[in-house]
Amino acid sequence: MVISDETRSKIEEAISKYPQKRGALLPAIHLVQADCGHVSKECAAELAEIFEILPIQVMEVVSFYNMFFDSPQAKHHVYVCTNLPCSLRGSRSLLSQLESHLGVTAPGATEDGRIFLGHEECLGACGYAPMMRVDDEYHEDLDVEKAKQILDSLGK
Amino acid sequence: MPKITIDGNELEVAEGRTILQALDDAGLLMNGIDIPHYCWHPKLPIDGSCRLCQVEVEGIPKLQIACDTPVRDGMVVHTQNERVKQAREGVMELLLVNHPLDCPICDQAGECKLQDYTYDYGVKASRTKEPRRALKKNVDLGPTIVFDQERCILCRRCVRFCREIPKTGELAIFNRGDHSVIETFPGTPLDNPYSMNVADICPVGALTTKDFRFKIRVWFLEEVPGICTGCSNGCNIHLGVANNKVYRYVPRRNDAVNDTWICDEGRMSYRRIGAPDRLRECAVRDASGRLEPVGLDRAIDAAASRLRRLIDSKGPGVIAGLASAHATNEDLFTFRRFLAALGAETHGVAVVCGEADDLLVKREKAPNAAGAREIGFRDARAVVDRIGSGGIDAVIALGHDALQEGLLSSEEALANLDTVIVLDTHASEFQRVAHVIVPVRHAAEKLGSFVNVARRVQRVVPAVESMGESYSDGEVIAKLGAALGLEGFDGSYDARQVARDLAAANPAFAGIDLDSVGDAGRPLADAAASEAER
Ligand code: SF4
Ligand code: SF4
Ligand code: FES
Repeated sequence: MVISDETRSKIEEAISKYPQKRGALLPAIHLVQADCGHVSKECAAELAEIFEILPIQVMEVVSFYNMFFDSPQAKHHVYVCTNLPCSLRGSRSLLSQLESHLGVTAPGATEDGRIFLGHEECLGACGYAPMMRVDDEYHEDLDVEKAKQILDSLGK
Repeated sequence: MPKITIDGNELEVAEGRTILQALDDAGLLMNGIDIPHYCWHPKLPIDGSCRLCQVEVEGIPKLQIACDTPVRDGMVVHTQNERVKQAREGVMELLLVNHPLDCPICDQAGECKLQDYTYDYGVKASRTKEPRRALKKNVDLGPTIVFDQERCILCRRCVRFCREIPKTGELAIFNRGDHSVIETFPGTPLDNPYSMNVADICPVGALTTKDFRFKIRVWFLEEVPGICTGCSNGCNIHLGVANNKVYRYVPRRNDAVNDTWICDEGRMSYRRIGAPDRLRECAVRDASGRLEPVGLDRAIDAAASRLRRLIDSKGPGVIAGLASAHATNEDLFTFRRFLAALGAETHGVAVVCGEADDLLVKREKAPNAAGAREIGFRDARAVVDRIGSGGIDAVIALGHDALQEGLLSSEEALANLDTVIVLDTHASEFQRVAHVIVPVRHAAEKLGSFVNVARRVQRVVPAVESMGESYSDGEVIAKLGAALGLEGFDGSYDARQVARDLAAANPAFAGIDLDSVGDAGRPLADAAASEAER
């Protein structure tokens, strides 16, 4: 079993909130990813069993959404917003300076697998442009130095 | 029942159907009323994803998809006006934006719905300069199918097929929007007993069968209606014929028999027709014990004189008839008449049995077991038992089903017989013991009928000429009857006439002949009656 008992009981709890079992598939995938880092085909098979669907149907959903991964990922995901307001406030040059700081081409991960750097469209924080998302946290009113510091402080 | 008006024609349709379904029920879809469609398929759940089937419905401001718009009384539909035409052009243009247009090397060319609809409804020139999506070519999806991701138009027919029909669900759309592609689950190939149907329903050249691809351009094929002989379901097929060779079987729609599907094993059984082990000439065992090739007349003479000798010395009771469930009703009726005229009372039909499933595949692996029984042949065990008890000196066998099923062995039971006469399509263990062998035609090579497991009479017509010498079983039996001077045998055989004789002699076949049975088949009289009751 790759999905832990703890995650399984959280999934059961999620299922109880929906009129149809399948409705809880998205929250379940979130839970599995938080637990395992990505949704491997073994995870998909176990989820399929829980939801009484085919493994490939789990993978369809995983592949549909950008925030789900079917393969091992870098430890931290950093997305710089490059939509209009952030771009006007210098996010494109911010992104390229972070690229050279980390030695990667976005979208892409550092060799040690510590940081994945990418860009994203509007994250709804235009009032505080430029901004970036680091894992589940927003960092706003950025300049290059501040952004570099944040990246450097990220653990392995 | 709701009445709808389509392009000025009034139509009464069943409640709860969509516009496309209603037209399909009425046999009008693409046959009088043309609504192009990709994702909709009569035997799959509605998808509504390709948007090609848009039509105008009076009173609804936007165009509606005909595949998923239920009919209602008084509905007025336009399928050919300018708005509809423009919408179709738009959909076709979008579908072609990324299409590789590699028609010259695409095996679907000639039977491709993208070609056909572009020709009929498409814009005349491309307006894009951007590079097309480069995706995977030549993807090995499993043992039977090759996939070209670039040609796929994402209609999801193959996905729905795998989920709904064999219920194996190997295929899915991965990713989203313009990154969408068909894929299998890692490590789970497309592999199920009905897998090759996906190549038939794929409207484009994205899914092709490993067996047929690149064998021949489809426009050289003549599609001859026929029946699969793989099992007693009798699935309706088209035989793809060119150069007197059968290149493929594809399913032919018959909602009463096989919908629009056939099993892979049945599909591949076309290879039996031109197989290297087909018998090609008559043979008679000579004094030294070798099989010597001879003409039909000498084979008949040899068989007749052996039988005559036995009849004169021991009477006809020592002769047994083994029928084949691969023979047509006409062959079998002739054989049955022959045995009766001879006075040979030991007879039976051997049927090879195997696995069945709950979709199409049936247990009896021959097309005409029901017909043979209807015509009066008993279980072959009756014959086997009498041979075992030493009461039989001669066997006349159509086919080698009894050997295949292990009922008889060429080493024991048959080896001790005085006379073994075999009419067969393919070589078998009979070769070791037979005294007379006559090659006969495969179902693809002759006119006749079968009765399937649901007691439906279905017709086969000659699609190819047999290689080498060969005859219908009935023809050979008729000649043998004449050579023996049997009552009612003048040596001639005409399948059409035999079918009429059968209809006159056997109430189950009443009113059925080889013309009226048509390409779609007809239930036997009793089956028809019970259908009518229901
Ligand atoms: S492979 Fe063929 S049937 Fe399957 S989605 Fe693509 S075009 Fe449709
Ligand atoms: S189910 Fe039987 S009759 Fe139908 S295609 Fe398969 S073998 Fe042939
Ligand atoms: S056939 Fe109606 S949307 Fe595809």
